[in-house]
Amino acid sequence: MAGVTLSRWTMSYFAAALVALVAAEVLMATGFGYPAAALRGAETLLVVHLVAIGWLSLLMLGALFQFVPVLVAKPLHSDRVAGAVLLGLLAGLSALAAGFLHLAGVVTVDLPFFPAAAALLGVSFALAIFTLGRTLETAVSPGLPVRFVTVGLISLAATVMFGIIFAGVLGGGVEATLFLEIAAAGVPVHAVTGLGGWLTFTAMGVSYRLFAMFMLAPELDRASSRWVHRLGAAALGVTVVGGGAAAAAGASLTGVLAAAGIPGLAALVLYGFDVVHLYRGRLRRNMELNSRMAICALASLAAAVTLSLVTVVLGVFEEHVGAIVFLVAFGWLTGLGLAKLYKIVAFLTWLECYGPVLGKTATPRVQDLADERRAWPWFVAFFMSSWLGTAALLLSSASMFRVATAALAIATVGIVVQFVRARRLIDVTNDLRFPPGARRPRLFLSISH
Amino acid sequence: MSTKPLELDVRPILAGGSDPFAEIMEAVAALAPGQDLRIVAPFRPAPLIQVLGSKGFTHVEESLGGGAWAMTFSRVADSGARADTAGADADPWPEPARQLDNRDLDPPEPMVRILAATEEMAAGEVLSALLPREPSFLLPELAKRGHAWRGAMTEDGKAYRLLVRVGAGREMRT
Repeated sequence: MAGVTLSRWTMSYFAAALVALVAAEVLMATGFGYPAAALRGAETLLVVHLVAIGWLSLLMLGALFQFVPVLVAKPLHSDRVAGAVLLGLLAGLSALAAGFLHLAGVVTVDLPFFPAAAALLGVSFALAIFTLGRTLETAVSPGLPVRFVTVGLISLAATVMFGIIFAGVLGGGVEATLFLEIAAAGVPVHAVTGLGGWLTFTAMGVSYRLFAMFMLAPELDRASSRWVHRLGAAALGVTVVGGGAAAAAGASLTGVLAAAGIPGLAALVLYGFDVVHLYRGRLRRNMELNSRMAICALASLAAAVTLSLVTVVLGVFEEHVGAIVFLVAFGWLTGLGLAKLYKIVAFLTWLECYGPVLGKTATPRVQDLADERRAWPWFVAFFMSSWLGTAALLLSSASMFRVATAALAIATVGIVVQFVRARRLIDVTNDLRFPPGARRPRLFLSISH
Repeated sequence: MSTKPLELDVRPILAGGSDPFAEIMEAVAALAPGQDLRIVAPFRPAPLIQVLGSKGFTHVEESLGGGAWAMTFSRVADSGARADTAGADADPWPEPARQLDNRDLDPPEPMVRILAATEEMAAGEVLSALLPREPSFLLPELAKRGHAWRGAMTEDGKAYRLLVRVGAGREMRT
């Protein structure tokens, strides 16, 4: 059967991801981790992985399990794997969190947390990459987003491999000098391939299609977008291969990161031009909230790039790297993720509920599931707080950071409430909500057929 | 089968830097009942064998030397259960009774309009629609409602042309 049905697990991924996001924000607001604790301290690492795996990776995988079949117009290689991957990742993340808490002295039971985390996360991510890879492989004429997602998945594999080495060293089981060298120096490579390759590069590729779909803009496959892909892939290749080799040899990473940074920067600048082109070329004159809020996320990405350049030139990049990573993770990735979720949750819910009766009876429109006037203040609060948090880190003000992240947590909960309203069809008028034959959606699990 | 095979040499298209997939799908859609499709390519087009195989075609391959291949695809007579583009491909379809241009509509409006139109049409009638892109979520819904369809990107790659034959897929459902 050609075409795509709803992925059963996507809503479950989104729900678990949002719980992890709010948990991380609450931890930061209570002063857990950086800047109150060391940047590479166990508490900070816990928060970072709660955001990177618990929130961003689950969000991305949940979206890809639904979106990759749309890209290749073929069903997912296996929908059942998606459910198993979710459970495996949650178990692995719990083990990782326990390992960090053990390092921090909070958990005193001595169990093999890191080996368990490495095994669970390694196997689960590998399964996810395999399933998505097999699905991507069926693409008859792979378009630009397919090529971006492929590079993103390769970056994920590299990130996980570095992560497994770190876990082996932290858990005390791995003592080979080679791995100890990599663990000592490889953290920037792990972070760049994870945040830059897996999360940012995949988000960029997916955004080409989402922006075109949600704003009725022409699909981009022009020279600049192909160069974004080539340069970005080159930057990531240099980071993984050069960075890995330098870390293993105990050499300095500065040269490698600079060599990767130049094509990486060029890719981001070209991406900026492409996005402006998409926004200008849109047929939908009045932008929906998701498209307006995506501009704030794109501005955050631009600000993070500028901030990186300025701090490198001034020679203060190292001391501000926390602020830059925060801006990338929250202003850019989380901001874009929440803005697009606002549209995607409503669309998937609409399709799940009204798909069988479309054309047979009056049904609400997708936009009737969302009340933008109710949602926009939460989004504005979210972006303001993420920028305030970045400023707090730049100014090294731990108290200001706690205020900002508390506001961030509140704004996020406000946005999550909007998703629940869409899922529950609360904003749809009573007479249209459940026409005969419509299916009542469940909160966390989609009905796939 | 006395009909001459439809010939498509994709070498000039590939040499020009374009992807011949849309042309191939157009050619497939244009095949007369029982007509074979002969494709000449500068390499053995493995993905195409898979794609057309899933649409109920068998093939005979022939190496032309210099890396070039000629592939002759024939539709399996009883391809019903495997066809994913259409149910009643063996019979020619009637001229479309209705046309829709949904290219400039917000998703999912094209899907809503096509489903609404099929509800109003009589069994056996054909609906022709233009869409901004392949309607991934619509195709399974059409099959579920017992309609047959054929679709391909247009020659310029800027739109997707979909033909739906109302009620024609009912006997195909597995």
